[in-house]
Amino acid sequence: MTAPRQNVRVLIVIGAVGLAFAGLAFRLFQLHVLQHKELLAQAVANSEQVLHRQGRRGQILDANGNLLANSLSARLVFADPSVTCSQAVTTAHALAPLLQMDEATLAGKLSSPGHYVRLKQKLNEDTIQQVRALKLKGIGFEDQFMRLYPNGELASHVLGFVDAEHKGVQGIEASMETFLQGQSGYEVVERDRRGREIRASRIEDLAPRDGFTVVLTIDQVIQHVAEVELEKAMVEFRPQAATIIVSRPKTGEILAMSCRPTFDPNKAGDATADARRNRCVSDLAEPGSTFKIVTISTALSEGLVRLEDRFNCENGAWLYGGRLLHDAHPYGVLSVEEILFHSSNIGAAKIAVERMGQARVYDAMRNFGFGNKTGIAIPGEVSGIVHPLSKWNKLSISRIPMGHEVSVTPIQMMMALNAVANGGQLMKPLIVKSVLDEKGTPLMQYTPQLAGQPITPQATALMTTALRKVPSPVGTAPKAAVPRYDVAGKTGTAQKLENGQYVNKFYSSFIGYLPANDPQISIYVSLDDPIGGAYYGGSVAGPVFRAVAEKVTQYLGIPPQQQPNSDDTKKVASL
Amino acid sequence: MKQNRKRESLRLGTVAKSLIACMCVAALGLFYVYGKTRINRLGDEVGKREATLTATEKRNAMLAAQLAQLKSPAALEQRCQQYNLGLMSPKDTQMVPLYEPGPEWDAQLVKPADPVTATTAKTKTPVLAKKPQTKVMARR
Repeated sequence: MTAPRQNVRVLIVIGAVGLAFAGLAFRLFQLHVLQHKELLAQAVANSEQVLHRQGRRGQILDANGNLLANSLSARLVFADPSVTCSQAVTTAHALAPLLQMDEATLAGKLSSPGHYVRLKQKLNEDTIQQVRALKLKGIGFEDQFMRLYPNGELASHVLGFVDAEHKGVQGIEASMETFLQGQSGYEVVERDRRGREIRASRIEDLAPRDGFTVVLTIDQVIQHVAEVELEKAMVEFRPQAATIIVSRPKTGEILAMSCRPTFDPNKAGDATADARRNRCVSDLAEPGSTFKIVTISTALSEGLVRLEDRFNCENGAWLYGGRLLHDAHPYGVLSVEEILFHSSNIGAAKIAVERMGQARVYDAMRNFGFGNKTGIAIPGEVSGIVHPLSKWNKLSISRIPMGHEVSVTPIQMMMALNAVANGGQLMKPLIVKSVLDEKGTPLMQYTPQLAGQPITPQATALMTTALRKVPSPVGTAPKAAVPRYDVAGKTGTAQKLENGQYVNKFYSSFIGYLPANDPQISIYVSLDDPIGGAYYGGSVAGPVFRAVAEKVTQYLGIPPQQQPNSDDTKKVASL
Repeated sequence: MKQNRKRESLRLGTVAKSLIACMCVAALGLFYVYGKTRINRLGDEVGKREATLTATEKRNAMLAAQLAQLKSPAALEQRCQQYNLGLMSPKDTQMVPLYEPGPEWDAQLVKPADPVTATTAKTKTPVLAKKPQTKVMARR
């Protein structure tokens, strides 16, 4: 009896153990085979995490390597309203002073629908630590970049600014977006039970690439000098707007470019669209007498006139096409040289009417690049208005030579003058010098580009001879003369056109280069509707030209052409 | 059951082989564990270094921006005024042109003709044949 009973017991135990193992085996089969896919996905989701990392936006440097724009790491704080809505008021009460936000607004955000709401951006590390210490549920942090322009308003119209997504909106930030933007990277990491990364088990690791560095031709010091002087003119003459450009005539490099009103790119959202616009490339105006450079230099270049040729300037009033054309001062017979430095409208008109003809005047404008974009690497540039010959009226030939019936941008005018200063070679404006990689190795070098040859070198020499007399006591801009330097320049005072009628408002400008015999810098200054009596280009824009030229020649070490006054030298020697 | 058991003497060779096999397996296991631990520790170390690098890069960018702010012409002018340093741009008359030596300068130096003159000429200041072009300015 014992043996069969024992066998039964053994069988029962074996059966039970067998069943248990069979159950386990089935469960294992179920987990590893039948539910493999979904369980694997759950396991991966629990331990693995994909982290996206944004590449830092590239820097913008001036010609000497000074930092003009940079990206800094910052954090934003966000909330999950599905978690925070139950305690929105108490959470808002705790957070509001730290985030410097209105408590009611914050409570509204914390109880809004959805799972994600941004509370505040660009927080510093101290504030982050303070918020973290509160240990609030449903509050999280995200890394982000913050664009910083260390010089504030300096060169703001050139640099432009970025939007909330860190993408360039205007200026170099927009035009060089391809180079400046970094490439995002990602990491697939495994985390332990506490959520810490198991670095050794990192599955994929694609590092982000920072954006490239863009080096401009802008010189920070020259830009500062230009802006300070322009600001002084804004205070003194209270114009609606003002622009200034400093460039190198031989290469077309832009050393400084600014306009007023201006804005701080660190707070671009606070500025009006009007203040953010780069007027040097996007605003059109009738240039006035500065445009005489174009017609007269072409007439000289084509041998249609000589500097000594004389024209009757009709004592200040000339009836042409049934309309009277006036000069600012009455002149009798003037030579071409005198027409330039006295800025006679009648003289310029007669050169065009009697010697050039419509086709030549039109070709002259087109050859100097008017009616086309200069191609400067700043978005928003306009072509200007040059009417085709078919749309000219009988007065056009007498008005265009003195800068009416044509609209140009300051950068077009600057480049046209540079052609006169540069032996007749029209250069393309250059504002980006190079693009550097992370190690500072140049990826791209931008070299000066020739855009055309509108006039001959002989004509430019003759023009320089005439233009040197403009900033002299006999010319229209004695206030633009720079002591000890030979300056060649031209004034412009154009009446403004409003609703099809010329009104008593003026667009005053001065444009010039120095040293006249070997031009190193050229400067364009314009003031739109100066107030306070003075409105002639020589009186309003001339002093700005002089002030900038004096400082820039010192800064660049451009040697003067004239020796200092002997009395002054003695005084210095005795010091 | 006892009577069914056969007494067999343990063979030393078999025991030794088993021991060696066990020790090998144990050593491999230990080495594996050591390796894994080491990899984890190095991974942690790399993670810490990466965090330090990131923090340093952030700090570097911030300091670069601070430096740029301090070096900006407007900030420097403000500091000059603040500390009343009396710095100002030199006037025209306070600048004296100097002549920068260059290749054309060297070419115009009067060289001694014979060795006797040459030995004496070493101590003398070279004589310029022609005044060179003005190139730089110095501020007095």
